[in-house]
Amino acid sequence: MMKTRISTEWLSGCSGCHIAIVDLHEKLLNLIDDVEFVRIPVLMDEKEYPEADVGIVEGAIRSEHDRKCLLRMRETCKTLVAFGTCAVYGGPSGIGWLYGKDTILNKIYKDTVTATDDGKLPEGAPELEQSVIPLNEVVDIDFYIPGCPPHPYFIALSIKTLLGASVPEISIKTVCSACKRRMEKREGVKLQRGMSTASEEDICLLSQGIICLGSVTLDRCQAQCPNKGVACAGCAGPSIDIITEPHLDIRTLIAKRMSLLTGIDRIEILDYMEKEAKTFYSYAISSPIIYKKPTVEIREWAGN
Amino acid sequence: MIKITIDEDACVGCELCVDECPTDVFEFNEEKLLPKVVREKECFGCLSCSEICPASAITHEDIIYSEEYYHDNENLALASRLAVDVPLPNTPSDDAHKKAALDDLGIRLLSVASIFRQTLGGSLPAVGTMAGRTLATQLPRYRIPESFKEALDIAVRQFTPAWDIKPDYDGSSKLEIKVKSCFIRELCKTEGIELGGDLCVLFYNYMAGYIGKLANARLKLTESCPGSKECKYDIEVFVK
Repeated sequence: MMKTRISTEWLSGCSGCHIAIVDLHEKLLNLIDDVEFVRIPVLMDEKEYPEADVGIVEGAIRSEHDRKCLLRMRETCKTLVAFGTCAVYGGPSGIGWLYGKDTILNKIYKDTVTATDDGKLPEGAPELEQSVIPLNEVVDIDFYIPGCPPHPYFIALSIKTLLGASVPEISIKTVCSACKRRMEKREGVKLQRGMSTASEEDICLLSQGIICLGSVTLDRCQAQCPNKGVACAGCAGPSIDIITEPHLDIRTLIAKRMSLLTGIDRIEILDYMEKEAKTFYSYAISSPIIYKKPTVEIREWAGN
Repeated sequence: MIKITIDEDACVGCELCVDECPTDVFEFNEEKLLPKVVREKECFGCLSCSEICPASAITHEDIIYSEEYYHDNENLALASRLAVDVPLPNTPSDDAHKKAALDDLGIRLLSVASIFRQTLGGSLPAVGTMAGRTLATQLPRYRIPESFKEALDIAVRQFTPAWDIKPDYDGSSKLEIKVKSCFIRELCKTEGIELGGDLCVLFYNYMAGYIGKLANARLKLTESCPGSKECKYDIEVFVK
């Protein structure tokens, strides 16, 4: 049997998604029989782009170099997968979308007190793009696997699908569906600002007054954070409702649910989330799915 | 009939669906801490339970989405590639249904226009303008148009395909709008009504009001020439 050729590439990201593939552990060994990695930057030094059946791209586009690499990947791979939240939605570095190229370069090389060299920009580095760009803005993507990084469970499922071994039903539910905590209606709960962890076991963080993005986030993680008492940061990007319906948004949905559960004023939650928009929208800030929504004004909320 | 399924593994027992449902379809089982579908036939497919459910545990079968453009098609395409089982809206595309609906709408519009004319008399154009302005504030828009030209493009896009509108803007104050095929023209033809009647007055003021509010400009209709091949409106534009 011909082995399936997999080529991976790593753009503006943290390499966490590549490490997540290695996290398949012994499952990786089963995979090796059917798969040949022709290019994988964490493991081998391959400068060229060999022809491959499946291309897996991690990270967003931040520089011209990233853009060229992505175009080469599209040319050489039959199926291209946007792997991880950065590739699908821009990820945390997407915060660059708020400011634009010149503001960032000036801030770092000219306006900062410690800047030397008379504010000269470094030479020889690839030109920065105006903003952080998710992959599907530049090329056609065949499959999206968000997650920061995607849980090995979902990676294994997706790879099986790609190899054509089976067509598993991949869940499109939210993080809450995998969370073991129980949502409970309460009275007299106060909104907890800043980073806080759950004080009670088995009770939903929203019921305890902590803003947890579990209910507006796609489950690609099996709810690891909320199950351990840490609020969901929304790392796998918005849920299917938010993606498909223009009038639904992260902050409005959270505020609605939380005020129904705890009796905290909806406006108070909305105001807080707008003030902390860089935190609550951090993973999908540079995706048009979020910034094109009529109700989202992140640039205004961030004060520029 | 609509069939509702609750994924009991996913459910987090928040009871929000029980509170949200306008027709009391659900009841909460205090022992199991799960909601139960008790009056399924009362469901009319508003999907508020599905929207409020934090775990997206509620799915409906055999529902008809109310509007075709309710969903963002670009994002729907993306969503379908996130996983294999994304439900796509099954809007009816039956031509006979559409025609019947349009005929019905046409008769209603004509009678509304004539009632307005009888009760309001000369204030009829103002009603059209106000309606257009209200619509401009209520339709969701991705961003505020930066120039008058851009607002015009958005308006034309939103009026197509029911209206074939060709605006001709000279860049300063003169705007000429040519309407070739139009829902109202066809309506007038089938009903045997002369062009330029009450409904036309309502419509072209409505359009001017809409474009004006969208572009933050004041539009003054100077001349309207309904014709057998196309209607032509001359509009003076005061960009603020």
